[in-house]
Amino acid sequence: MDSTGEIRVQPALRLQGVEKSFGAQRAVSALDLAVPKGETCGLIGPSGAGKTTSIRLIMSILFPDSGQVEVLGRASALEAKDRVGYLPEERGVYRKMKVGAFLKYLAGLKGTPESAALSRARELLSQLGLDDILQKKCEDLSKGMLQRVQFVGSILHKPELLILDEPFSGLDPVSVRMLKSVVADERRRGTTILFSTHVMAQAEELCDRVVMIHKGRKVLDESMSTLRRRYDPTRVLFEPLDADADLSVLRDVPGVLSLQRSEGDVQLRLAAGTDPASVIREVAARVTPARIEIARIRLEDVFVDFVRGEGGESEVALRQHLQGLAGEKA
Amino acid sequence: MNMFQRIKLVAARDFLVTVSSKGFLIGVFIMPVMGLLLVVMIPKIMAQRGAQLTVEVALIDGSNSMTEALKRELDPAVIAARREAGRRAAAEQAAPGAGQAAPATPDLSAPIFTIKQLPADSAIDAQKAWLTDDKLDKRARRALLSIPANAVARPGTGEYGTYALYAPRNLPEDAETLLHDAMRVALTTERLRADGLDPEVIQKATRVARARTVMVSPDGKQQGSPGLNRALPFIMGILLFMGVMIGGQGMMTSTIEEKSSRVVEVLLAAVSPLELMWGKLLGHLGIGLVMMAVYVGLGVLALTQFAMFGLIDPLLIVYLLAFFLIAYLVFGAIMLAIGAAVNQLADAQSLMGPVMLLLVTPYILTPFIGQRPDSTFAVAMSFIPPINPFAMLARLASSSPPPAWQVLLSLAVGLLAAWIAVWFAAKIFRIGLLMHGKPPSFGTLIKWARMS
Repeated sequence: MDSTGEIRVQPALRLQGVEKSFGAQRAVSALDLAVPKGETCGLIGPSGAGKTTSIRLIMSILFPDSGQVEVLGRASALEAKDRVGYLPEERGVYRKMKVGAFLKYLAGLKGTPESAALSRARELLSQLGLDDILQKKCEDLSKGMLQRVQFVGSILHKPELLILDEPFSGLDPVSVRMLKSVVADERRRGTTILFSTHVMAQAEELCDRVVMIHKGRKVLDESMSTLRRRYDPTRVLFEPLDADADLSVLRDVPGVLSLQRSEGDVQLRLAAGTDPASVIREVAARVTPARIEIARIRLEDVFVDFVRGEGGESEVALRQHLQGLAGEKA
Repeated sequence: MNMFQRIKLVAARDFLVTVSSKGFLIGVFIMPVMGLLLVVMIPKIMAQRGAQLTVEVALIDGSNSMTEALKRELDPAVIAARREAGRRAAAEQAAPGAGQAAPATPDLSAPIFTIKQLPADSAIDAQKAWLTDDKLDKRARRALLSIPANAVARPGTGEYGTYALYAPRNLPEDAETLLHDAMRVALTTERLRADGLDPEVIQKATRVARARTVMVSPDGKQQGSPGLNRALPFIMGILLFMGVMIGGQGMMTSTIEEKSSRVVEVLLAAVSPLELMWGKLLGHLGIGLVMMAVYVGLGVLALTQFAMFGLIDPLLIVYLLAFFLIAYLVFGAIMLAIGAAVNQLADAQSLMGPVMLLLVTPYILTPFIGQRPDSTFAVAMSFIPPINPFAMLARLASSSPPPAWQVLLSLAVGLLAAWIAVWFAAKIFRIGLLMHGKPPSFGTLIKWARMS
């Protein structure tokens, strides 16, 4: 149990003071992490932040220069590989192998009997819109189909801990939705999930907790509920019914610090301690709203707050990246 | 799921995928087929001509006695008989008792010679235009022989003179050889006759057929076919070489494929790098063994057909397996490390160069080591890895097998080398699998081995 009292069960995953350098470049620095059993934890940060290296250290694909990694109560993932599911960011298949044979092979390596693996594979593939592909060769599938097959390969053996490295990157929205529903099923089954993403909205949607990494260092480790409590509500979104309405009358609403217009709506920043309900009532009384709501915390804003002032790329470029608009950074 | 089960699964996948591929089946059977082609078909194809050549030979015979003798020696039936005798002698040389008399039939590949006799005092220069006449038929050739009088009858006890052959550029080599052969026999016959001797008696007296060597082993059993004994070291070298190449190269390409297709990280989620490495080593060892089993099986079948299987010590097959295991682990581990270190097959070529040299050199040396199994060189090579499996196996297959202590020492040295090679490969394998980018040099590989 840590000082905040949030961890109430033995963690499925624990990292203590983990460091990893490649030559002179430090990829992961003093990383502490504890993911309780059954929790979905997002490892977030832009590409190159150290997420994949951290995950490889957890999986014992790389070994830390110092520090300790504990996976499902074992001193190393090597001792618990059969209970861990992993979808790497750099995922591949045996192109000449049939999908069924490939999945059977992966499940076999995890100790799952062939028949059980095949029946679960059929069920999962069907859930992901891939009926009747077991006899097809991997090379005959599209990239998106392969990604779903690889995802199935990572959960065939019903892992207790599921690690997904950028699982949605490169997928079309329909596939993303299907994949999210299977992730939700795994979560309901009680699987502990650690997934990395550079798209903050995905983390907001799926995670109980987020760990933010920047330049190899952990800069934030909070549950989403704490984050929401800490940062919310600081903004109110307002869209007037009459697009030409005079909005200057909203400036002197008590508790409003500033007004910021964007396409069609207005964002009102509130002073700390302001009751958003009273602001909403007052705003609605002055200008008839088409829509008025409290803005939820956006991880993107939290992250931008953290890295602001460090120089490097512009805020616009960083935000585009964190929204998944600019794709992968080199 | 324990470590051995995972290794078994990786090995089984690599083995089954490879042996069920068309490439492997073609690879295993194409070598014997190509060997057969090389031995049987190529000489026949080479000997075939579109149509038969005719060679008109102008003869300036100063001795006035050679014309008939030369005509006789250039007769197609006599040429065929002479060629057959030569072949038999060569076969006897290689494996005494193997050469069998066959009826002399005219050799269709040999040119047909006609003799055109010129006056004995003809000038050679005057005939050169005739020789180089380019308006001849496509299949016709010309040649000129000049025989001085003293080529047949020597003055007193002095030396014999000799003949001269003049030929245009387009006279084929075999026609030229046949002319020289015919001249040698005809001259000898006529010289003997001129000295009052009977050529037939001399010919019979000087012909001694090479006798068959009967090998006798200490237990008194007769062993035969030194020809097979001579070929055996080389055959062992080929088997070892091919087993290592088929196993090692397949392993290297499959590792490169796994790395470049990025499937390797998916695998590493389920198996440790060491398990993956051992799985691959064992899977492809099985492939090498299948290949050798096919060839050894074919060889044993062939020997049994000719009731010659008793000529081979079955222990030799056990030694072949033991030394194959060592050679495969040493070279296979290095090839595996190279496969893990590079991103594509083309990058592996530069690193494979020295490895191939180390593999091909001992294989080429096997016949020489087999001929002189007790030489200092052969003995020294038996203890220097990675050459020792080839050298020791060649000696074991030779007519003078080494003492048991040398065999055991060579096995021990080989096993130590295999252990070091696998240890080195494991270090490279672990680091190399996830490395992408510029292909490394041997220096970088050693740095990686130190790093891990």
